[in-house]
Amino acid sequence: MPNVRKAAVIGGNRIPFARANGAYATASNLDMLTATLDGLAARFGLAGATLGEVVGGAVLKHSRDRDLTREAVLGSTLSPRTPAYDLQQACGTGLQTAVAVANKIALGQIESGIAAGVDTASDAPVALNDGLRRVLMELNGAKTPLARLKALRGLRPGQIVPEIPRNAEPRTGLSMGEHAAITAQEWQVGREEQDELAAASHRNLAAAYDRGFFDDLVTPYLGLTRDANLRPDSSAEKLAKLKPVFGKDLEHPTMTAGNSTPLTDGASAVLLGSDEWAAQNRLPVLAHVVDAQTAAVDHVHGRDGLLTAPVYAVPVLLERNGLTLQDFDFYEIHEAFASTVLATLKAWEDPAFTKERLGLDAPLGAIDRSRLNVVGSSLATGHPFAATGGRIVATLAKLLHENKGGRGLISICAAGGQGVTMILEAAA
Amino acid sequence: MSLAGLYVKAAVGAVGPRSRELPSTELMRSVPVDRAHLAAYARVCGFAVGDVLPLTYPHVLAFPLQVELMASRAFPLPLPGLVHVRNTITARRRIDAAEELDVRVHAERLRAHPKGAQVDLVAEIAAGGEPVWHGRSTYLARGASAPDSDKFEPPLPSGIEDGPAVATWLVDAGTGRRYAAVSGDVNPIHLHPLTAKAFGFPRAIAHGMWTAAHALAALQGRTADAATYDVAFAKPLLLPSIVELRTRPVGDGWHLDVRSRKAQHLTATLS
Repeated sequence: MPNVRKAAVIGGNRIPFARANGAYATASNLDMLTATLDGLAARFGLAGATLGEVVGGAVLKHSRDRDLTREAVLGSTLSPRTPAYDLQQACGTGLQTAVAVANKIALGQIESGIAAGVDTASDAPVALNDGLRRVLMELNGAKTPLARLKALRGLRPGQIVPEIPRNAEPRTGLSMGEHAAITAQEWQVGREEQDELAAASHRNLAAAYDRGFFDDLVTPYLGLTRDANLRPDSSAEKLAKLKPVFGKDLEHPTMTAGNSTPLTDGASAVLLGSDEWAAQNRLPVLAHVVDAQTAAVDHVHGRDGLLTAPVYAVPVLLERNGLTLQDFDFYEIHEAFASTVLATLKAWEDPAFTKERLGLDAPLGAIDRSRLNVVGSSLATGHPFAATGGRIVATLAKLLHENKGGRGLISICAAGGQGVTMILEAAA
Repeated sequence: MSLAGLYVKAAVGAVGPRSRELPSTELMRSVPVDRAHLAAYARVCGFAVGDVLPLTYPHVLAFPLQVELMASRAFPLPLPGLVHVRNTITARRRIDAAEELDVRVHAERLRAHPKGAQVDLVAEIAAGGEPVWHGRSTYLARGASAPDSDKFEPPLPSGIEDGPAVATWLVDAGTGRRYAAVSGDVNPIHLHPLTAKAFGFPRAIAHGMWTAAHALAALQGRTADAATYDVAFAKPLLLPSIVELRTRPVGDGWHLDVRSRKAQHLTATLS
């Protein structure tokens, strides 16, 4: 087995993210993922190329989309001899696909690969009512007319109502927003700081678009050239006028539609490879994947909040790499909700929490906030669940390349009480 | 007038005196691409929903003008009963849905055929004045007469006689209605068994251009932006049907073949 090597981030491509039932209302996950792969292939001259692997995924997925990523590859300009598979880990999907591809490259099992993710809230799967589904399955298995008749006796008028996917945790019944509101209250995250973070996200994203930062990261799709959720003129004052939508039963509800991410449609893809493969194909290396860590918490019966797993993942990642939280030039903390980012930062600064819950002698400490989400994040771009990881990896790799050095930290919280984190460093 | 209205008008006017020569009329129109319509077309034919127009899509932009021209009394062949026998599309480059397109349609080459008379409806599409797409639809009017032509008739694309199918399609009974809804081709032979019977078909038949588009969609990601898609329609594809697609790479292009156990429906080259 060859020595372990660091996978190179060569570049990325995504389509602008659209608000649900907006510009991409008629597009399926397969359409968006195919378009995104084609855009990446066009950008890096990969038409007809056989890559080591494409790993992709979607969170809201139709049953017909079995092997979605492979189907997207088959419909793309990539060689049909490029293998592909699906992966799913809620909002961690996109970053976890990058971990999967990078690890195979690191081990020398593949020389190149694409990590991708896509999600649509507009073309979401609506399933048969479960009672009706059971009747139909029984009917399908019935071998005699009598058995068929017996199966049909299970039909009820109410079964006409389909199952619609809900943005709720299966075991708690609470939506992500309600979970986040509980965490926000626990960490006493104020309304004002949430609105400021949201306004900064819009401001930073707008400025980045204006200076052309996304010119080689985003390909227009279905008439959209920028993320539809972006409000360049957003301000903390304007956001302060919005009414709370989550945690309304709490004493001081703080979470609004403005400091929470909206339901979004979109797709992203990242091209990774070995340094040798990049050189052979005359492709740039923007950054290298240093390491990654996934963690999970017991958000059901334990004390931890649904979206707090990255709080646990990052200290492990730092320890293994001999780094402190301050050793980074850029922090990309996914803005599921503004309060999630702020609660995460507060937890790392809290001596009692870090001692008791993280088992550390000293808190990780504060970060330089001017290095946080410097070209905007999910509050401004929107958050098509599985597409967020790829958006962030490509964005951070480019930031590091522009910076001509340095190191960046990615932290993405996910439903199910999970979190995926990664360290990138600029290519020498 | 709606396309359905034009069909009715043409059906009513089918009896009676007609011109013996092709009108010199050229119909022109600006055709903005409606993205919702493009998406609906892509769904029905099997293309991915995106910004690039499928090679066959401009045909449905030009089709209403074709019908308008053919439904007029000045047109020598009666529209009801015209059979689409061949279609040749040449795209010079990819066309984006955001481009402003102008369509021009005219008829040419009215000529004798062993079974009647043939005519070509030619559509030219320009983007900002630049010619980008050319379509030639050949229709046959059985039993009609026309002068012989000494012009060279390009040979029909040959079928793929051997080898396994690359795909089996279950073409359901609603295919004709769905394609009619996105193409505007509401010829009754495609809509329902009863209306098809009135025109002598045992069941409704699929639109040739749907079959051509669906076959092309199977090659998504493997075709050049600038290409010629030459399609010959053989026996009608009765609905519903189970048919097989065969493809074979030839040079930089492809041969395509769609047939059922009993009949050949389509042969095509993409080059």
